[in-house]
Amino acid sequence: MKRFFSRFSRRYIRSLVYMLQASEYHIQDYLNWYSRAQDFSAVEKRKHIQWSVKARTLNVLAWMLVGFALAAAVLAAAVLPFPYDLFVVFSLALGITYALPYALSGFVMLGGVIQKPLEQRLIRRAKETLRRHPAVKIAIAGSYGKTSMREILKTVLAEGKKVAAPPGSYNTPLGIASFVKTLTGDEEVIIFELGEYYPGDVRMLCEFVEPSMGVITGINEAHLEKFGTLERTADTIFELADHLSHRTVYVNADNAIADARATAGHIRFSLGAVGEWRVRNAKTGLEGTSFTLQHGTIEINAHSKLLGLHMVGLLAAAAHIAQGLGLTVNQIEKGIANTEAFAHRLEPKILSEGVTLLDDSYNGSPDGVRAVIAFLAHLKGHRRFYVTPGLVEMGERKEGVHREIGKELAEAEIENVILVRDSVTPYIAEGLKNAGFKGTLVWFEDGPRAFAALPHMTVPGDVVLIQNDWPDQYS
Amino acid sequence: MKTIAVIFGGKSAEHDVSTITAHIPIIESLAASGQFDIWPVYITKAGKWYADKAMNDLSFFMQSDYEEKLVKQKQVQLSFENGFSLVWPGVFSKSAKIDVVFPSMHGTYGEDGSLMGLLRMAGVPFVGCDIFASATAMDKVLTKQVVSAESIPVVPYVWFTRAQWEKKADEFRKRIKEELKFPLFIKPVHLGSSIGITKAKNEAELENAIEVALHYDDKVLVENGVLNLIEVTLPIWGNDDPTPACVERPLNKTEFFDFNDKYLSGGGKKGGSGVNSRYSELPAEIGEKMTKQVKEMGLAVYRTLGCGGMARVDFLIDDTTKQIYVNEVNTLPGSLYHHNWRKAGVSNVELVLGLVKLAEERFAAQQSLQLTFKSDILQKVGGPKVQK
Repeated sequence: MKRFFSRFSRRYIRSLVYMLQASEYHIQDYLNWYSRAQDFSAVEKRKHIQWSVKARTLNVLAWMLVGFALAAAVLAAAVLPFPYDLFVVFSLALGITYALPYALSGFVMLGGVIQKPLEQRLIRRAKETLRRHPAVKIAIAGSYGKTSMREILKTVLAEGKKVAAPPGSYNTPLGIASFVKTLTGDEEVIIFELGEYYPGDVRMLCEFVEPSMGVITGINEAHLEKFGTLERTADTIFELADHLSHRTVYVNADNAIADARATAGHIRFSLGAVGEWRVRNAKTGLEGTSFTLQHGTIEINAHSKLLGLHMVGLLAAAAHIAQGLGLTVNQIEKGIANTEAFAHRLEPKILSEGVTLLDDSYNGSPDGVRAVIAFLAHLKGHRRFYVTPGLVEMGERKEGVHREIGKELAEAEIENVILVRDSVTPYIAEGLKNAGFKGTLVWFEDGPRAFAALPHMTVPGDVVLIQNDWPDQYS
Repeated sequence: MKTIAVIFGGKSAEHDVSTITAHIPIIESLAASGQFDIWPVYITKAGKWYADKAMNDLSFFMQSDYEEKLVKQKQVQLSFENGFSLVWPGVFSKSAKIDVVFPSMHGTYGEDGSLMGLLRMAGVPFVGCDIFASATAMDKVLTKQVVSAESIPVVPYVWFTRAQWEKKADEFRKRIKEELKFPLFIKPVHLGSSIGITKAKNEAELENAIEVALHYDDKVLVENGVLNLIEVTLPIWGNDDPTPACVERPLNKTEFFDFNDKYLSGGGKKGGSGVNSRYSELPAEIGEKMTKQVKEMGLAVYRTLGCGGMARVDFLIDDTTKQIYVNEVNTLPGSLYHHNWRKAGVSNVELVLGLVKLAEERFAAQQSLQLTFKSDILQKVGGPKVQK
C-alpha cells in the first residue's frame, strides 16, 4: 500500500534520482532497488542526494515529463466528456508515476551513448600520457584491501620518492583518466587501484595503465552477485598477474584463495613474512601495530598507527617494495610510522564521552570482518560493541558468510552485538546462538536508530565498532 | 514488549526540570533499549494530564506554542480497572494498559510521595523510591530528624512553619542567634533543585532570605553554613542491596551550587557530559578514606530512609575538621545523574533497565504480602459488644 501511495509523494522524483546516483548510474542495480522498494518517500537514510549536473538534469527532465502529463490531463478534462475525462486523467496520473523510473533509466542510457565517444577520447589521451611517463607504475587488484594498500604504499614511498595516486575510489577507466590529467610528469612512482566489477575489467585497466609491478591483496565474496562464482572473481583479479607475466607481483598469502593461485615467481606477503624477509613480534592494540622485519643483517622496526594484525602483511609488502625502490631502512621506518587509519576503515575516534569508536563502515568484505573481529578479540579490559547491518552482495553465500560472522563474534566473546534488522542479520543471530553467544544481542530497525541509541548504551572506556554501511539502494 | 508510562511535568517549581529528566535520559534511553512501548504522560502546571507519542521528543516542549497545541488535545484519564491504564474518552475512546510507570516528577506531587501513593493504589510497578522514603526525603527537616535518630551527623539547624514565623518570629530569631552561627543557609523545606535557597551572612540578609524561602514554601529550614566547605553528592541505586555510584563534587562557581549551575549552564569537559559537567569534579578528589566514609554514610542514609530504586544523598564536609554531614536526600536526582552513573560504568540504557527491574522486583515482593484477612466483625455490628 505504502509502495503505491508513496509514488505520489513530492519526494518521489528526488528519490528516483538519488537512487540512480547512489547506484552509480548502474541501471540494473537501480532497477533491482526499484523492484524491492516499499516506500519511495523516505529513501535517503544514510546519505543525501548530491545535486551534480547529471542529477539536476535528470530531475528537470523528470519534472518536465510530469508537466507534460499534467498538461495532457488538463486538456483531456477540458475536451473529453464525463466519465472519459476522469478515466484519462487517472490513467495519466498512474501512468506517469509508473513510467518515470524507466524513463529516467532511458535518459541515463541515452546520456551514456552521447558521453561514450568523449570518454573514449579522454581515456586514449590518458593512455598515451602514461605510456610516455617514466614513473614506476604499481597496480593493486583485489576484492578488498586495495585502498589500504594504496595508502600504505603512498605514505611509505613518499619518504624517498615523489609519489602520486588517484584519490578516493578512482578505480575505473574514466576515474583513472581524470587522475592522469593531474600528473605533472616528474612523479617517480604512480599507484593505481584496479576496480573489478565484471570479468575482463582488470585486464582492460592493465592495458590502460601498463603497470611495472602489481600487488594482489586478496579474493573474497565482494561483488559475488556480479561475478557468480569465486573462481570467476579470482580469474578477474589474477588478470593483473597474467598481464605482468614475469614482472614483479606481490600476492597476499594470508588470503587462502590468492595464496593457492600464487606461483613460485610471485612474492608472497603475510603476517609471518614477505619474500625472504621474516616478520617477528607482531603486536596490535588501540594505539597501533608494531613488528620487526628481518632479512640477514637488515632489521626494520615498524610502528604504525594502523590497527589490526591483518595490516602487518600489507605494511611488510610496502617495506619490501620500498627497499626494492631504493629507500633506506630509516626512510622505511619513518614512512611506516606515518601510516595511519584511513577514513572509515578501522578508523579510531575518541569521543568526548571517553568512548572509542572504531569506524569500519567502508569494510564490507568477509575477510575484512574476520580481521576486525580478530582485532577486537585482542582488546582486553574494554566492553566491546559490534554494530552491523551485515554485508551486501554476498550472493548465494550470504547465509554461510553471516553465520560465520556470528560464530566468530561469539568465539571472540564480544560483550554486545547490535544488529540492524534486514535480510541477512538473522543469519548472524543464528551463528551467535549456535556458537553459544553469552553477550547481549540488541536489534534495531535501521542504522540511524542504532547509531542514535549507542551513546545511551556506552560508558567511558567502551569500544564501539561500526562494521559496514548498508547503502540505501540495498534497503 | 512492555508498555511503560513516563510521567513528568506537574504542579511543581521544578516542572521544566522534570520535563528534561523525563527525556534526557529516561525516554531516550528506554527508546534506545528497544524494549518498550513508551507513553509520555505530561501533567501541565495546572494539573491537566496529556499523553501523546509526539511528546516522546523533547523538541515538542521546546516549541513556543506547545501549550496551545496541548489544549486542542484530549486529556487523558486514568483507569485502575485490571491494573493501570491510560484512557482517552470519547466516541472513539481508546486505552493503553501500562505495565510499569517511570515517574519523572521533581518536587511537589511527584517526588513527595503523592504520585507514588496514586501508583500504589493503581497496583502498578513504578520506578524509584516508594511513598514513605519520598515523603520523608522531600522534607529536609524530617530527613535530618530521621537520620539523626540513627546517629548520622547533620549540621545544627532551626526550623519553623509560616504560621509559627508569623506568630513568634522573635522567638525564632533568638533561637537562631543562640543556636546557630553565620553564615547561614535558608532553605524552603520541600523544594529541590536548589530553588529558593539563600546564603545569609548577617541578620538583614537572614530576614530577606526567610522571606524568599516563605515565598516558595510554608516550612523553612535555617542551618549553619559549614566552614571550609566541600560539597559532595552520591547517587545510589538498589532495593535491599544498594550500590553507590561515584562521589561527585559540585564546584562552586557562584556562592553555592544553585539551579542555574545544575540545569542551565550546559555541558563541559570536566566531570562527564550534560548537566553539571563543567561544575563538578567526578570522581571527587577527596581521598580514598573520605570517599569510603561518604559511601558508607550514604548507604546508611539510603537504608534508614527506606529508599528503593534510586536516590542521591548530598553531603557537606568541613575540610578542616574532616567532619562529614548529611545535607539532604533527593529521591529523583535531576537527569538521574546519568553522567555520574556512566563514570561508574553504568550506561544510560543499563540504568533505566536496571531501575525498571528494581521496580518490578519491589512490586512482586509487595504483592506477596498478605494485606487483608477474613473477619466476621461486620456481622457482629449491633450485637452485644464489638471487640476492637
